[in-house]
Amino acid sequence: MRFEPTELTADELALQAEVRAFLEHELPRGGFEPGLGMGASRDPAFSKALAARGWVGMALPARYGGRDRSAVDRFVVVEELLRWGAPVGHHWVADRQSGPVINRFGTEAQKERFLPAICRGELSFSIGMSEPDSGSDLASVATRATRAQDGWLVNGTKIWTSGAYENDWFVVLCRTSEEEDRHRGLSQLLVDLHSDGLEVNPIPYLDGSSHFNEVVLNDVYVPDELVLGQPGMGWAQNTSELAYERGGPDRWLSTYVVVEQWLREHADSAAGERGSLLLGDVVARWWGLRQLSLSVARKIDRGEAPALESALVKEMGTRFEQDVLERVLQLVDLEPSAASASLFERLLAAAILTAPSFTIRGGTIEILRSVAAKGLEA
Amino acid sequence: MTDQLLIDTANQLFAATCTHAAVQDAERDGWAPDVWRTIAEAGFPWVSIAESVGGSGGTLTDAAAIIRIAGGYAAPVPLAETAMLGGWLASMAGLPLPGGPATVVPGQPGDTLGLSGGAVSGRALRVPWGGKAERVVALLPDGDGWVVASMAVGAASVEPGTNLAGEPRDTLVFDRAAADIVPAPAGVDPDALRQRGALARALMMAGALDRMSRLTVEYTRQRRQFGRPVAQFQAVQQHLVHGAQEAAIVTMAAEAAAAAAERGSAVFEIAAAKVLAGQAAASATRAAHQAHGAMGMTQEYPLQHLSRRLWSWRREHGDDAWWSARLGRASAAAGADLLYPSITGGSRVVTV
Repeated sequence: MRFEPTELTADELALQAEVRAFLEHELPRGGFEPGLGMGASRDPAFSKALAARGWVGMALPARYGGRDRSAVDRFVVVEELLRWGAPVGHHWVADRQSGPVINRFGTEAQKERFLPAICRGELSFSIGMSEPDSGSDLASVATRATRAQDGWLVNGTKIWTSGAYENDWFVVLCRTSEEEDRHRGLSQLLVDLHSDGLEVNPIPYLDGSSHFNEVVLNDVYVPDELVLGQPGMGWAQNTSELAYERGGPDRWLSTYVVVEQWLREHADSAAGERGSLLLGDVVARWWGLRQLSLSVARKIDRGEAPALESALVKEMGTRFEQDVLERVLQLVDLEPSAASASLFERLLAAAILTAPSFTIRGGTIEILRSVAAKGLEA
Repeated sequence: MTDQLLIDTANQLFAATCTHAAVQDAERDGWAPDVWRTIAEAGFPWVSIAESVGGSGGTLTDAAAIIRIAGGYAAPVPLAETAMLGGWLASMAGLPLPGGPATVVPGQPGDTLGLSGGAVSGRALRVPWGGKAERVVALLPDGDGWVVASMAVGAASVEPGTNLAGEPRDTLVFDRAAADIVPAPAGVDPDALRQRGALARALMMAGALDRMSRLTVEYTRQRRQFGRPVAQFQAVQQHLVHGAQEAAIVTMAAEAAAAAAERGSAVFEIAAAKVLAGQAAASATRAAHQAHGAMGMTQEYPLQHLSRRLWSWRREHGDDAWWSARLGRASAAAGADLLYPSITGGSRVVTV
């Protein structure tokens, strides 16, 4: 394990300046409701405007509508979007993981069908991994696909599926054959969320929102051409997909906007003794985490597979997102409300209610520790 | 980037000389002549100091790499003091470099060291290896400015002291001692010295944290309880992962700070590195000791060489709270719109 220090090149810094100018123009402060990192709201029009600049699916090949940009370029764009609180919800999963996994494992026809629409900011994806009896132990999924004419019939239940109501497709991990090794016989299917036999049931979230869903698949027909990659290779593909979503700025910026807005609205308190200590601590750790996370993106660009490094960053980053919130809470004497006239208090309210999810989504910190501990060097 | 050959050589030399027994003996005797002789022959204590003033040449990044590696081996010698602090002050002032070990007056509340009639008098507290160095270099007030003063340690009376790791931190008392005295050039003042001191300690702490992480992984994979290595227990894995994370983030921050210092202003980066290192000295050391159980509390096992140094170095050249408050005041003054740009741009964006 080694995180090499790295700096942005002149071209990468120019891209950063472009993104900042775009955000100031497109989403001026005070002109929109910022969200908490990747938990921000969805706005298809914003996703399309971003895509028009070439910043959705930008690391995908140009022949499929991408821009052939690097993982570091995508890092530069994404960190600015997240820290701005931009409404990334519509394209987020497609950009971060569905697009890359289709590009990596998909057939030529699948790439031509899905990637250009992802890169236009149109096509949105959900994740079809978790099930009622299958969370951290993902190889135990019970959703099954059985052979049908030129395709598969899928039966089972997926759960905690964010955005299933609004999104277009999801990638379903399911069992396509029984094997002695339970990591074999799994496949990933591209499933239209508007398929016959597919039912989306909302699961009200603790904050009253309704992006969380159960998806019931009842003899949903999936043609052979929508099997992603090789049947039976779903576990390896899925593991690689998880690696894509780990270690990026979305794992340490969820509560950034809370601090920035606190500084904006409570400048006096921030300049005080306790405020300065808080700011110094969180700025130092953001600085360090960002350097580690950027170093992971460089490794990806060199063709390395930094699974251990990504797991370490995600575990540390998501815990820090929660710590940041607690530090702010210890400093402000108020009762936050989602209906407050103060943006800071609205963000604080949202952060209190959603913070527990930071260390759960995309792999719990306990699982990350088990994965990481095995790879550590003596 | 530092030459891999230099890094490999440094690792070999420190591994060969800084054995457990050598570090134990140095704590008892206050000096490790074999370690010093070996690294002096390699020129390590004078890396980053120009050859024209008697140094070994090389970049600050090279010196940083060697100092970080030395921290991992608990090297009981004033390497940072000679290369990055005392030697730096002397070379900046154009003063001749001592051939032997040099040290620096870190500057403590209670110091009374000062100029009087072309000589130096007063007390300098907690001088690293103050009694064993040949030269001691100090920044002293002179009118509205500062002078660099270089004295022979032999001219001082020494009141021995140590830090929590048993490293010498002596009080030197001078009475009208002869000194080479030169006005401090621009950019050489107590704040610049404190920055370099903090950078040196952050680098040493990065090395110590990395070694501590590896030691803990190794120990918990060998130590068996309930029929299996304790490293397989989730509760222990939490300690292992935390130690590795803190080693990684402090190493990254310290290396980035050294690179920034090579370029120019690096106060933001040094502050961030010392804050992260200090916090790691608390939490990662606690995790490492917990994973080691009672074995880690003994002198015979090497964890204490690292943990006691981390606790000591955390407090030297400004602790994490001091640097955090300074960084935070600068961030508050820069304001909300510059908060993220400073996290991406550091000292290029914000003056700390």
